[in-house]
Amino acid sequence: MNLPTSFPPRIEETPVLAQLIQDPAKAVNAIARAKPPELDEYGQLPKLASTFDHVDGLFYFTYAVCIFFFVLILGVLLFSVVKYRRKTFDQPAASNSTHNTPLEVVWTVIPLIIVMIMFAWGFKGCLDMTTVPQAASQNTYKATAAQWNWTFTYPNHPEKSRGEVWLEVNKPVQFLLESEDVLHAFYIPSMRVKRDVIPGRFQTVWFTPTQLGDYHLFCAEYCGDSHSLMYAQVHVVTAEEFAKAPWYTFDDSTPAKAAASGESIYKGQCSACHSVNGVAGAAPSWAGDKGLFKKDGDKVVGRERQVVENGATKTVVADEAYIRESIRMPLAKLVADYATKANMNAFGPDKLSDRELNAVIEYMKTLAK
Amino acid sequence: MTTHAPVLDAHKSHSEKPKHYLNCSSGFWSWASTLDHKRIGLMYLIGTGLAFLAGGLFALLVRLHLWQPDGMLFSNDQYNQIFTLHGAFMVFLFVIPAIPGSLGNIVLPLMLGAKDVALPRLNLLSFYLWLSGAVLAALAIVMGGFDTGWTFYAPYSLYTNKAVVTIGLAIFMLGFSSIFTGLNFIVTTHKLRAPGLTWFRMPLFVWALYATSLLQVLATPVLGITILLVAFERLYNIGIFDPRLGGDPVLFEHFFWFYSHPAVYIMVLPAFGIISELVTVHSRKPLFGYKLIAFSSLAIAIISFLVWGHHMFTSGQSTYAMFAFSFLTFFVAIPTAIKEFSWVATIWKGSIALNSPMLYTLAFLIIFAIGGLTGVILGSLNVDLHLHDTYFVVAHFHYVMMGSIALAFFAGLHHWWPKMFGVMYNETLAKIACLVIFVGFNATFIPQFIMGSQGMPRRYATYVPEFQPYHSASTIGAMILGSGVALMVFYLVASLLTGKKAMQNQWGGVTLDWMSPTPPPLENFAHTPKVTTEVYDYSTLDLKSTQTPIG
Repeated sequence: MNLPTSFPPRIEETPVLAQLIQDPAKAVNAIARAKPPELDEYGQLPKLASTFDHVDGLFYFTYAVCIFFFVLILGVLLFSVVKYRRKTFDQPAASNSTHNTPLEVVWTVIPLIIVMIMFAWGFKGCLDMTTVPQAASQNTYKATAAQWNWTFTYPNHPEKSRGEVWLEVNKPVQFLLESEDVLHAFYIPSMRVKRDVIPGRFQTVWFTPTQLGDYHLFCAEYCGDSHSLMYAQVHVVTAEEFAKAPWYTFDDSTPAKAAASGESIYKGQCSACHSVNGVAGAAPSWAGDKGLFKKDGDKVVGRERQVVENGATKTVVADEAYIRESIRMPLAKLVADYATKANMNAFGPDKLSDRELNAVIEYMKTLAK
Repeated sequence: MTTHAPVLDAHKSHSEKPKHYLNCSSGFWSWASTLDHKRIGLMYLIGTGLAFLAGGLFALLVRLHLWQPDGMLFSNDQYNQIFTLHGAFMVFLFVIPAIPGSLGNIVLPLMLGAKDVALPRLNLLSFYLWLSGAVLAALAIVMGGFDTGWTFYAPYSLYTNKAVVTIGLAIFMLGFSSIFTGLNFIVTTHKLRAPGLTWFRMPLFVWALYATSLLQVLATPVLGITILLVAFERLYNIGIFDPRLGGDPVLFEHFFWFYSHPAVYIMVLPAFGIISELVTVHSRKPLFGYKLIAFSSLAIAIISFLVWGHHMFTSGQSTYAMFAFSFLTFFVAIPTAIKEFSWVATIWKGSIALNSPMLYTLAFLIIFAIGGLTGVILGSLNVDLHLHDTYFVVAHFHYVMMGSIALAFFAGLHHWWPKMFGVMYNETLAKIACLVIFVGFNATFIPQFIMGSQGMPRRYATYVPEFQPYHSASTIGAMILGSGVALMVFYLVASLLTGKKAMQNQWGGVTLDWMSPTPPPLENFAHTPKVTTEVYDYSTLDLKSTQTPIG
């Protein structure tokens, strides 16, 4: 018998559970996840990596107050139950008091004072978090949220990065947040920042990263199918490393390098919906029997696929022209299985340049079998 | 203070079996067209009970799926539908209607010494609206499901290709059911109190239902309008919430929470009422701070209209709005704390009977303390910006919704079960089930507090691997919780078939509900009772009635 080697057991180690799976090879989580953040000394919060230490301070203050009151309530309850338990059916109460004005004033006023302290402390912290200092507004990034990816634009750099963003340590940064479709939320637990991203308006959030390292950036507002795959990594690096513009990796000087650049774009921007292992996710897979390209001898050619165009079903060949159209104007021809649920946003040249698009197609070709 | 017991008309000599509301007539039609508040209450009990079991099943599926980081059972889309179903069923079909609809319907007229509610036909209409809403919600699952979360946030709810209009219509109907119940209870409380039953002699369950009813009548229309606007927006593209048409999605959030925050108190105030009732009866001691508890219910009802913005601290509302909403949110903590302290003070130096309703009540007091205190953590603006939309929030509101409200509902169910059916369930099994539920509940949600503060966002079908131990512990807890609930359903149903006869006054209550025969006859009291004593005066308790089996 194979005993699970880890707890909780991984699915492949538990044959009984594995049979329950309908869809074992899901759309891959292609963006690499950051390592788990270290926890702080109390083990409740991820170790703070920004200057917002008032969040942790108030959290633990409130936590301590809560534990005090909880223990008080629990203690009185347990003591009463043990001491005043009814032993005979006609036992009357030990006291019939219905009021104790001093006691009632005490338990009204003391909690009131405590919560007013918490309120003032929290509001002061909130002012700090919502008042953008000039240094941060001079270092403004743009974060664009779309179902289901993050794209980042840097100050004074033309290049974008997808699914990853690089920040300079100890330099205040502001993010201008915009959404292309529905509500999202920009959440970096280690920095203690969260802000909803709302279509039709700009939101801002600022912080100063103080610790080198890689951090999770989650979408925290439910946004549909692949909400949980809408992930990005935040890299906080030194000024020297930042100066090398590590996000600038695009290279299409050879087909192989173009394909590699295309893969990195795929991971940041396409992988939440399109798998490359043949398994259908929120959108068609790029590989497998219903994929885009196939090998014909030593040539790579487009597969035939059923699409719906203006309500009519037809067969097209998934060649480069079709792919370009499907990225620039996703709703023109819909893959038949997805005709009623297609919701891809258009990728205009501002989001994906022609060269980048070609690189993605180069990558698609490497998936052909 | 006088010492006369309320005039009670116990059935005197019986040569035949006493007729009560359960056996006074039979057949499908006698139930389907009944105007009796107790029968309508029972139908609500069955309906909301089934909705709870369905919602619970969805919860177990959610927990099973999250056993491992990539998800175990479902595609992301299926998962999103299941967590939405769990939330929508629990909130709209169970938590909001359950206590007023079932226990409230059965107990309120009894407590007031009335023959029925003031508007029996409206009461039946309420139930049928609930039933239609429930059927429509079930239909929506077949007609494409819905995956918006129970909050229906625009614009996602406008774009998704699921059956949002159908479920919206269902919620619209459920809203009217809720409004009608509220109206009915307000009129009943004003008009049908027995002679001598002054406002400050009313049991606190009545006060709680009264405050709830005010909220239902005032707040629910806003939900109806909001849901209707979403439906119009989907059907006719008007441009209210859809930013592509010039609408504002944040406006939806304001509308939604303007109802749904008071709705939290629509859900929790009746639970407070049950607990107020149970701590005094099972401690055989007058309630500590009766007036303060009654007024705190009204205070909570009023303040609850002014704190909706705390659901939107991350939405970019102005600093002034955040200031006001956070301040008022902390303010609401005070009447809530007063209630908890008063309950504990009632138990102090009481004559505490550790029977199953009391065990559920103690479980409530412990769990609600955690639920309330963690709410204080979330009230701070800067801390909320970190914890918002994480599992910390999920755990917090489950401590209130499941751990407090559902447990208070169970407590009330166990308390009035002998009154309703004239039979007792197996007390040993009840105590075991209470313990299992308590342990399972905490095992489910304590890990969620921890992973939430570490940054695990809610509504995730998959998650980063470091959260797996917490998710798995939570899943195991949910299974324990589920088996506790299954045990409870088993012994409650079994008691109807094989249960021992209950006592005339099973727990030794002194409110009017215990003065009517058990189970009550069709119109509750042979003569209108007259109240001459203050509320919860246990010196008037006839101990013999707690030792006399019925019939």
